[in-house]
Amino acid sequence: MEGSDALLAARLAAGDDRALAEAFDQLASSVYGGALRVLGNGSAAHDVVQDVFVELWSHPDRYDPAAGSLRTYLIVLARHRAVDVLRSELRRVARQERHYRLTPAEPPGAASDEVVAAETASVVRAAVQLLPDGQRRVVELAYFEGLTCREVANAMGIPEGTAKSRLRLAMAKLEAVLDRQLLESS
Amino acid sequence: MSAADRDQAALPAGLRERVMAASLTARAAGQPVPAVPEISGDEAFARAADAFDGLLGELSGEGWKTQALRGLDVQGLVGHLTGVEEDTQRALGGDPEVADAGHVESTQGAAIRQAGRSPALTRDEWRRAADRTLELARAAGRDPAAGGSARLAMHGITLPLDDLLVVRAFELWVHDNDIRRAVGLPPSVPDPPVLHLMSDLAARMLPYAAARLGLRPVDVHLVLTGPGGGTWDVAIGRGAGGRAADPGPEGVAIVADAVGFCLLAGNRVTPAELGPHITGDESRAVSVLAATPALALD
Repeated sequence: MEGSDALLAARLAAGDDRALAEAFDQLASSVYGGALRVLGNGSAAHDVVQDVFVELWSHPDRYDPAAGSLRTYLIVLARHRAVDVLRSELRRVARQERHYRLTPAEPPGAASDEVVAAETASVVRAAVQLLPDGQRRVVELAYFEGLTCREVANAMGIPEGTAKSRLRLAMAKLEAVLDRQLLESS
Repeated sequence: MSAADRDQAALPAGLRERVMAASLTARAAGQPVPAVPEISGDEAFARAADAFDGLLGELSGEGWKTQALRGLDVQGLVGHLTGVEEDTQRALGGDPEVADAGHVESTQGAAIRQAGRSPALTRDEWRRAADRTLELARAAGRDPAAGGSARLAMHGITLPLDDLLVVRAFELWVHDNDIRRAVGLPPSVPDPPVLHLMSDLAARMLPYAAARLGLRPVDVHLVLTGPGGGTWDVAIGRGAGGRAADPGPEGVAIVADAVGFCLLAGNRVTPAELGPHITGDESRAVSVLAATPALALD
């Protein structure tokens, strides 16, 4: 498999669009499955699949066949992209919550967007609740209250460096928790 | 059921088309990555001449006397190249007699006259001839009357000036490796911009090479891998130099190393030594590969 992956990568680098089609036919369902595990909804997973294959085609030299199979590389890429989508969704949900708190009478957006957003937002909120108290509070203050790291540190009476490291740890755990939750629910 | 199987999910309709379209918008088919800087034919020739001159500077006195090709020692082979430069200059000067002159016969005098000379004199004569070719070619390229697109005929082939200079770079590289093989030096590889021009020329010349051997029409999807490679769709047997818009199911796909393919075009490796990956009718692909060196100059 590694030999055929190396050949496929060399063909992609040479601009062989048939190699791209072959890579899609062989691996897209795995990439899609990987994205679905993290995101839970199809529409966002479609975008991740597109991003992953555009990335592979645009920068085939970033894949090193000696480091592992193309399947693994693409699934890991898909997972990273999906987590990026979740992170962005987390920020969006936090902004939305702050906004609704200030202007509760704001008219809702398109119905389908609301359904997708609500599904993801509920998953995100549930995941935040599973964090240890100190880390959960940092995430709530930073993302849901919109405080800076310095303000979070002041609010919690901890050094700014500690606030930053808790936020980093929280985000890493959040990704893992979200992944596990979505896997169990799928 | 494996983890990989568990992770697979049915793809929605239309996603494949959407992904292919987005990908090809981001990067056109046929374009290699990393991108190869474009250079002109005269730049390719200049680089090949510099590389060849560098090799000559490494040779020992014994190396110059080593048998290299067609009964010529290295010094005679360098003389042959001086003769080729002289004929190129005649072609640039509009001499019609060089159009059908034999590549070997016409230059044999220049090869033989090196006997008894010092290697330094042979090297100097070739270098000055190569520089003169470059000077005349650049002047011709600047000539508004010719528009830089003049077609030149020599040694049985007629090509635009830029392509002819790539042919000249090609021959210098091929003989560079003849000499390296003779004296036991490792082979050389042109830098990617030069190799890309050589690959492109070899791909574009395939219909002419195939016509010389009377091949049946076939569409070839040619993928040359490695730095300097690329992808070409070549229609063979549909008129001179035709490019296939869509090779379709009747065509063949050939994937090979770019350096190896250029060595094949230069008649220095066999199709079997090239070790291509073939998709489609294998016998027809093998015929195309067998025809690839048909235009090689020796």
